[in-house]
Amino acid sequence: MTYTPFTQWMITTGVPQQVLELLLAVMIVATIVSIARYVIGSKTYGIYAPIILAIAYSYTGLKYGLAITLIVILTTLLSYTILRKVRMHYIARIAVNYCLLAIMLVVFFIVVERFGLGLENMTNISGLAVISIAALSDFFIKQYVKKSFKSSVMILSSTVIIAALGWFVITRDAVSEYFINNLWIVPLLIVFNIFIGQFAGLRVKDLFRFKSISQNKDNVQK
Amino acid sequence: MFRSRMNEVLGLNRRNQEYVRPYNHPKAKALADNKIATKKLLAREGIQTSEVYKLIKNRKQLAFLDWESLPKSFVIKPNQGTGGNGILVLYGRKKGELAWIRPGGEVLSKKDLTLHIENILEGRFSMGERSDIAIIEERVRTDSFLKQYSYKGVPDLRIICFNLVPIMAMIRIPTRRSNGTANLHSGAICTGIDIGTGITTYSMHMNNKSFLSDTYEMIDSTQDLKINKKLSGVQIPDWDKILDIAVRCQKASKLGYVGVDIALDADKGPIVFELNARPGLGIQVANQAGLKWRLEKIKGLSVKSIKHGIRVAKNLFGGEVEDSIEAISGRKVININEKITLYYKSYKEGSKNENKDRELTTAFVDTGAITSRISRSYVSRMGYFETMRQFDYLKCPKTFDTFTDAQDYIDEYSKNSTSDEYIIRLAKIFEDGQIVIRPVIIVKVKISGEIRDLEMIVTEDSTHSVTLGRNDLRDYLIDTSKTFK
Repeated sequence: MTYTPFTQWMITTGVPQQVLELLLAVMIVATIVSIARYVIGSKTYGIYAPIILAIAYSYTGLKYGLAITLIVILTTLLSYTILRKVRMHYIARIAVNYCLLAIMLVVFFIVVERFGLGLENMTNISGLAVISIAALSDFFIKQYVKKSFKSSVMILSSTVIIAALGWFVITRDAVSEYFINNLWIVPLLIVFNIFIGQFAGLRVKDLFRFKSISQNKDNVQK
Repeated sequence: MFRSRMNEVLGLNRRNQEYVRPYNHPKAKALADNKIATKKLLAREGIQTSEVYKLIKNRKQLAFLDWESLPKSFVIKPNQGTGGNGILVLYGRKKGELAWIRPGGEVLSKKDLTLHIENILEGRFSMGERSDIAIIEERVRTDSFLKQYSYKGVPDLRIICFNLVPIMAMIRIPTRRSNGTANLHSGAICTGIDIGTGITTYSMHMNNKSFLSDTYEMIDSTQDLKINKKLSGVQIPDWDKILDIAVRCQKASKLGYVGVDIALDADKGPIVFELNARPGLGIQVANQAGLKWRLEKIKGLSVKSIKHGIRVAKNLFGGEVEDSIEAISGRKVININEKITLYYKSYKEGSKNENKDRELTTAFVDTGAITSRISRSYVSRMGYFETMRQFDYLKCPKTFDTFTDAQDYIDEYSKNSTSDEYIIRLAKIFEDGQIVIRPVIIVKVKISGEIRDLEMIVTEDSTHSVTLGRNDLRDYLIDTSKTFK
């Protein structure tokens, strides 16, 4: 790939190319999360979870990434349901959860190796990406404990959907090439996010939530 | 239609940007998030909150807690909990054991409660990751009237106040589905309340079937009680007192935009549960009305006192009940003494004298009279002076012995040409104990926002300058509750 002189200069002046690409990806996904939250109204587990998930997916590939996500969530649910009956402290419980998770992931790798399940070549997957996805477990449990199972599943789904969207955007070669060669976009992203930060209009979700008010014919302005 | 109504609705973005952030100082927010600090502050202001039995700040205090000293029923809650999480209600104690019974019948031992309190102390139910304090406090005993609508738990009133004005109110009613908690997300019913009267309007609950969160379903009665009751039209007891407490809480807390949660205790009356610095927006659905335009009306208003704020709210936002009655019956609600506008003879829409040529007055609604009446001095002022003179020229007898005589005179008169174009006919009426004949003219009147031409008998001056009779009341329902206000 040929770079513009500015980008070329950066790379030769000690900015690792991979780090540069990753940082750009972080900015792009962060902006997607901010749009999703304030314009659409979909909640995620903070902003870090979808970013790390999108980047992890870009390393594992979406198919493998989603499969690992599924295993992580199912194991978390299982371990939480079992541990619920045991009286123990919260952090200890999470620690047990992570141990179970590690075991399950190992089992999963073996099962995939043996039976395929349409997920061949899993052995090449980056370990860091796998544990990044495993971190979802903590977010999921926290939401489950503090709110409800339903709300946690809701937020999990929107986190995964947004991460998948982020994955889609950052893995397009055209996109990453354009961004890395047009770094002036970075301040533009800042301005754009400041604009989103000022947005006071209704979110798309609000429109659905308050639909009944606008449909109520006998509701006179009073 | 869809858009315009949506413009009245307050969304999460605007709530945070324009109300919570600018009007709720971080210090005030921290106070509202801290139940103990709130209780202390409200106690100083003479506002009742639920009585605290014990505070448990750490494990050591938990270890030394004298369980025997606790009353039979109490509530355990985290000091900085959110969304009603971590609240444990205990109804009674199991005889001879250190065990307590939950509303659903589940028995919790001392060990269970200890674990629950440990979880609270670790901050499991609290905002952020901080450690927390556990509060053991009095269990509110539901007011007997509201009890019939709720399943086990305590219904809880939420009043949103802004700038010392109560903006919108609702009551959250525990259901079987919500397991006795007044939490919308766990299935409690939310019912809107008319600020003006304290009468309930619309009701909704979270849609059970929908997997999407925050989808509501409008309902009109309780859903899972043995005998389900209609939810609209219920008068909340002590309404004025509740509004007063809500606004006092706002003033004391220095929160510009606040949701005040109040429960009605059977013995103590209104008790403040908590103050909420970021009150939810579902209240708009329960009231089928938007918060945005209400808040915009109040913004920048200089409210002089608590009483003033309540009056403003009642005048501006009261009336949902009347509107909903109108929706059912197709009729508008008017008061016994209804404010109407009278249009002078010379009134022309759009002329520069438009404002001069009309006058606001109070009409007395009299269902005993058939035709509406207006006093002579009034119509003279309205430009019918000459018409009245023409009537005097008729020199009709001052009184009649019987209605038949009067009718005969009228029949006689009708044969002649009318003396004045504005007198459409003559009418026989009973005035001050005598039968008399009076002219009837057509007067343009605006009642409840609608301009109409009414046939009115011109009477001698009496207590009520304008009386609306049955002929003109067909389209209205009369609210007698505001008679003497």
